[in-house]
Amino acid sequence: MKNTFILFLGLFLASSLTVFAQSDDISPARKQAIDSLALEKVKDLSKYIAIIGSKETQFSEANRVMDRAEELFAPDAEMGVSSINTSEIAYYKVRRYFERLMALNYDRVNITWYDIQYISDLERQPDGRYVGVITIYQRFEGTSIETGMNYKDTTKKDITIYVEKKQTQIAGRTIEFWDVMLGDVRVTETSA
Amino acid sequence: MAIFLFAISTFVSAQGLGSASGTIKDDGRLAASTKQLNQFFRRFNAEESVDGNTRYNPGDDLYRNPDLRKGFFEVIFDKETSGIPDNLKNQFIDDVLSDTYPQYIRFHQEGWFSEVQADFFFKGKRERASIIFKLQPQGLGYEWIIDAVSFPPFKNLFNKPEGDDKDFLHPLSHELGFMNLRRAFEDSDLPESFTRSSFEPDFLTLFLYEMKQNNIRFATVTDVKFHFFQVEGWYFEVSQFNRPGFNTGWLISSLVKLKPGDKESIQNYIYDQK
Repeated sequence: MKNTFILFLGLFLASSLTVFAQSDDISPARKQAIDSLALEKVKDLSKYIAIIGSKETQFSEANRVMDRAEELFAPDAEMGVSSINTSEIAYYKVRRYFERLMALNYDRVNITWYDIQYISDLERQPDGRYVGVITIYQRFEGTSIETGMNYKDTTKKDITIYVEKKQTQIAGRTIEFWDVMLGDVRVTETSA
Repeated sequence: MAIFLFAISTFVSAQGLGSASGTIKDDGRLAASTKQLNQFFRRFNAEESVDGNTRYNPGDDLYRNPDLRKGFFEVIFDKETSGIPDNLKNQFIDDVLSDTYPQYIRFHQEGWFSEVQADFFFKGKRERASIIFKLQPQGLGYEWIIDAVSFPPFKNLFNKPEGDDKDFLHPLSHELGFMNLRRAFEDSDLPESFTRSSFEPDFLTLFLYEMKQNNIRFATVTDVKFHFFQVEGWYFEVSQFNRPGFNTGWLISSLVKLKPGDKESIQNYIYDQK
């Protein structure tokens, strides 16, 4: 909880002034500021995924990065994964997904990201929080030296973002700010 | 078409995700793809830039710009499998882009809904349900709600006979204190015979009841599509196409010019409640 608060505070201090909340409505300018903040979190996630998946990452370091990555997500967030061959969705808790990624049986793993993303509008849900989706594309390449097997895939990741107005005290003053948390992620293998 | 696709692929986003292992340059295919239904709405209405990175809002120069819309209409139809005739498509585009009465689709308005195919285990057997979802205002925002469900095991559960085959409670049953209910409820396999003429079973209630009894267990979602009746005189379906090439993502997969009565027929067909 303490870590989470520090993270919020860090984000608050790092983010643009336009993110300051004046009302419950989100103007186009504020939406842009929130998009940037959300994209930063998605960038962090993609960076963490690449580190966790890399075979050069030590076990203890991977665990530390998994902790950081998990903190980006709202509690109970899940990854729903499907492949081209089956429409069935496999559900994983975020931590389990990372652990599976770390345990993949390849000697070399290379995870890269396409230079494209798409950010949806923000829609308000019944509890007043806003929800949006950021779409990114990941390229995975795994090589097994012993078998010479080389596996490649491209996945589309649709990442839920929750946007919520929060308050914090700074020098005795109550300051409102918009915070972003990641939620469920739909991972679809694509033909790209 | 080629020109618009070229424009999309040229304006590919410059802000990569910048992971530890670097980024890959999209050759334009991902940029061309209609990546979210949200993007389908924005492209249909011309409410974003060609590359999708800038949202156009009321007051912006290019907001709902007719030429931009025309370009987007080149990329929001499935051109590979749906077989929508060109003349029908052009008629639709002319109607939607009309100078005098341009039409738009709206996220928060009635006239569109989602059809989700999902697998469930019912009494040990895997069965596929078709669930209709609609958006409704709720609390401070909106939510998707289940409007109806079609579930094959329920299909022939209620089969009310007609005419001479239909059993009935005679009109003086009340004088006998409805003692003949025993025959109706114990001897008959078709107790629905004794319901009002307009009786229609509520499959959603039945579905939820079975779920609450732990007889139905969710397995997975297998398919999602969207049905639109928001453009006057037209129906279209939007499906997701995951395949190689430039014509991918959420695209119009079916298009029908509506004649009187068609809307109800199509809706009944989609809802599949009989």
